[in-house]
Amino acid sequence: MKKKKEVKVLLVDDEVEFVDTLAQRLRMRELHVDTVYDGEQALSFIKRIEPDVIVLDLKMPGLHGIEVLREIKKMSPQIQVIILTGHGTEKDSEEAKKLGGFDFLRKPADIDLLVAKIKEAFAEKIERTMTAIAFAEEGELDTAEKIIKKEE
Amino acid sequence: MRNDADETINVSHFKFIGKILSVFTHELNNHLAIIKESAGLMEDILSLQKPSQQQAIEESLKIANSIGAQINKTSWLCKQLNNFGHRMDNTYSAFNVNKTLEELLILINRSANQSKINFAKDFQEDIPSIYNNPAKLQFLIFCLVDSYLKQLSKDSTIVFKTSHKDKAVKISIIPEGRFIEAYEANICPDDLHQHIVTKLEGNMAVYERGAVITLPLSVATGAKMPE
Repeated sequence: MKKKKEVKVLLVDDEVEFVDTLAQRLRMRELHVDTVYDGEQALSFIKRIEPDVIVLDLKMPGLHGIEVLREIKKMSPQIQVIILTGHGTEKDSEEAKKLGGFDFLRKPADIDLLVAKIKEAFAEKIERTMTAIAFAEEGELDTAEKIIKKEE
Repeated sequence: MRNDADETINVSHFKFIGKILSVFTHELNNHLAIIKESAGLMEDILSLQKPSQQQAIEESLKIANSIGAQINKTSWLCKQLNNFGHRMDNTYSAFNVNKTLEELLILINRSANQSKINFAKDFQEDIPSIYNNPAKLQFLIFCLVDSYLKQLSKDSTIVFKTSHKDKAVKISIIPEGRFIEAYEANICPDDLHQHIVTKLEGNMAVYERGAVITLPLSVATGAKMPE
């Protein structure tokens, strides 16, 4: 029997207690969760291990979440990013969408809603990857790239 | 020269208050989020306990649930205050009058409750955004409401009505109830209300019972472009 793929989630937030507790709750819901505490750590993490979904805070010391999202999309556009922020502005929400963010949630978010969004984001990643592979196999590399970057 | 400096100080003062509010509510909300996750984790752990401890588990789950509900309410209030703080980020911006009014009414609802006065809304839907000074408009509305709250007897109502016609948005504030003698001075003297409206490039008609503010969809451009 084929084993179901475990969703790999990376939580990025400078509020250590928040992120550790949230990680524990998500693990109880059978998600594979890693945590980092700022944008720089997130970028170096994804150079080593590629998560399926990143849950990203906006206001962190050092790199702002929007900058981190921009870099993630440059490095690995297939990774889906959910913004989870205390009080993001309308401008932040629009910017995140423009950069290919999957969704924009406000803290404190309901755990069931967050899990549902993570699963939706994962499903979208798989679907886009499969479609892009099909196009790549047909030699349509530009189309494949556009699908991954959500530019189609 | 002095007037320019005074105006700059006023604008900076607004921005200062806005900054303090938005930073502080952000911080508060972070703590609420931690408490919510901790209560949630407690619920998760309790849900895994043995059925023999069912009664204790149910009681504890109820408490954890109540903590979560209170946090949601507090966090929502924090969000309103945070939005209010962000209104002062830029002196001029495009904004929705209904949302801006709603936000203010939520923040001052407690004052109305204490005076046993109700707020009622009659907002025109799909009202266009206007380009003006949202913090100053909230201040003007606050001044008018503050004055009515002090003059109305309990169980009165203040109706807030918005409408849109001919490149202008109208805000009517209609006190319904019995007027009594006010014992407390208004936060902003009545004679300054018209002055604030002039700053918003609008006009205000004050009737025996109520006021109607008319604002253009956009203030004059030029020096007042978004910052």
